[in-house]
Amino acid sequence: MVVIESLKFNNVTLKFGGITALNDISFEVKPKTLYSIIGPNGAGKTSIFNCISGIYRPTEGTVTYGENKINDLRPDEVASLGIARTFQNIELFENMTVLDNILIGCHRQLDYGPVSSLLFSKKVRKNELEARKIAEEIIDFLEIEQFRSSYIMSLPYGVQKRVELGRALAMNPDMLLLDEPAAGMNNEETEDIARFIIDIHEEMKKTIIMVDHDMNMVMDIAEEVMVLNFGEKLAEGVPTEIVKDKQVIDAYLGVG
Amino acid sequence: MRGRPNLYTDYQKESSIFSNKTQKSWFGLLISLAIGLCFLATDYWLLLITTSCLIAIASWGLNIVSGLAGQINLAHGVFIGVGTYASAVIGGVATSSVIGYNLDMIFWLPVAGLASAVVGLIIAPITVKLKGLNLALVTLALVFIGSHLFSNFKSMTGGAGLGRKVATLKLFGIDLENGLQVGSYYLQREQILYLFSLLICVLAGLGVKNLVRSRAGRAYSAIRDGDIAAEALGINLFRYKASAFALSSFYGGISGALFFTVSGGVEPGSFNLVYSITFVAIVVIGGAGTVLGPLFGAFFYTLFPAVIQLFLHTFDIGEQSLPLNLGQLERLLFGLVIILFLMFEPRGLWGIWFRLRNYFKAWPFSY
Repeated sequence: MVVIESLKFNNVTLKFGGITALNDISFEVKPKTLYSIIGPNGAGKTSIFNCISGIYRPTEGTVTYGENKINDLRPDEVASLGIARTFQNIELFENMTVLDNILIGCHRQLDYGPVSSLLFSKKVRKNELEARKIAEEIIDFLEIEQFRSSYIMSLPYGVQKRVELGRALAMNPDMLLLDEPAAGMNNEETEDIARFIIDIHEEMKKTIIMVDHDMNMVMDIAEEVMVLNFGEKLAEGVPTEIVKDKQVIDAYLGVG
Repeated sequence: MRGRPNLYTDYQKESSIFSNKTQKSWFGLLISLAIGLCFLATDYWLLLITTSCLIAIASWGLNIVSGLAGQINLAHGVFIGVGTYASAVIGGVATSSVIGYNLDMIFWLPVAGLASAVVGLIIAPITVKLKGLNLALVTLALVFIGSHLFSNFKSMTGGAGLGRKVATLKLFGIDLENGLQVGSYYLQREQILYLFSLLICVLAGLGVKNLVRSRAGRAYSAIRDGDIAAEALGINLFRYKASAFALSSFYGGISGALFFTVSGGVEPGSFNLVYSITFVAIVVIGGAGTVLGPLFGAFFYTLFPAVIQLFLHTFDIGEQSLPLNLGQLERLLFGLVIILFLMFEPRGLWGIWFRLRNYFKAWPFSY
């Protein structure tokens, strides 16, 4: 088993022209924690994810994962280190079934190239059986059996979110980045997804970084919270402290 | 599995080629029919089906890069050309104007595919960086570069307007140009080519099916549907786009080598823009991104003119009484068909077949 690493942001600044999306952000996510990043719209939450997964390059500062400096890596190289992510606006493969989407998630766990694919050699057969086994376990875990062969575009939003979570899990990652897993969901669906996140964290022992608007869910399940506002880090700490922080209340939580 | 009826355990069956025995037996029936046809059909129809099979191989190739991986390629004809000329040089006869090594088919056929694949890989650094309209333009430029090179490498291609003879039909040292005596039966050149094309066509189709049901095919589809998400899942875009181009070219090369062997000669002007676009049309008509679509499209493309001719012949309509000549009429109707498909059935012939099949599966119920 691979030793699970900790993720560090060291004074990361991200600029787009004159706009500063992230300003001198530093934080550390220790192995196996459930870390949450909150903040109003445009605070830079998703930018942090994009810096981790190699979609954006930080203007200054470094991002490290264990010993590796990952801010210069391509997204697929970051993924191959065992960092999986979901997207804010679901990025599932719409013309494919749930099963196919999850099988694509298994990509990293399989080991054969296009030519073997073409010939469907013995090795491929063995690999494919394994992939299907992994996929079925995830389908079972997320309770999406009934949608197994449905095409993504025909599924309700809440289920799509769950499938995307499943696709990320299929990578068997050590670290999971969840971008607003509960966005646009009703209470029941939010509870479901919260339960899955807790299960993934506690049973599968994965490090999870979660970005969300849903304060109730974040405060309930996160172990550590970082609050962002306009690209600046406002506060960091355990949820019970964060809700008492004067600055945070002013900037984000507001009255209530 | 009691209590969990939706838990699938038979994974083997899931990824098999035929999902049930009925499909398998239909396929067997079709193949036996096709082999039987070899001894029953006239040379004219044999040639048509041979051509269809070979065009299907090239269309499958284009389908890998455009249908599965979603990368527009308007230069498929150039890759077909590279394969054709590679085979002509290796397997053709040298004359005073062109080179040729007159080797066995066992050499020239793989070389045709590999040469195309290598060219596909060489241009990969350019094609991989681009997508959408920009990629379309770059591949368009490739057509013109290809045409220019084909016309000017006279020692290989014979030059524009002249052309050359292509690879000779010789397998394992046996000369098949004049047919083959099998026991008391005499197999003609057309029949040999028919059977051989059928075999390669089935193998090529199998290859596409294998791709679709395994890692590479899934990666291609992922790139088509969302390259950012695909990359975040650990799919190396460069590697997979390049391999899609290479595989596509490989299919094209094999197809070209055999296709022009059937007709005997090749002229550089064949690989023009219209030739490349034809394959795009075939894939679209057949159903892009599907396994059977390109096959349907290829048969439609070759049999369409034949059906028109048959129609005119049956109703005894002379060419003189038509406002257009036959070629013009065929092209006009073919163009019309492309427009109709894009408007009413974007999934192409495969879509029609899919709906028909589901209709008869449920027959006599309408749901």
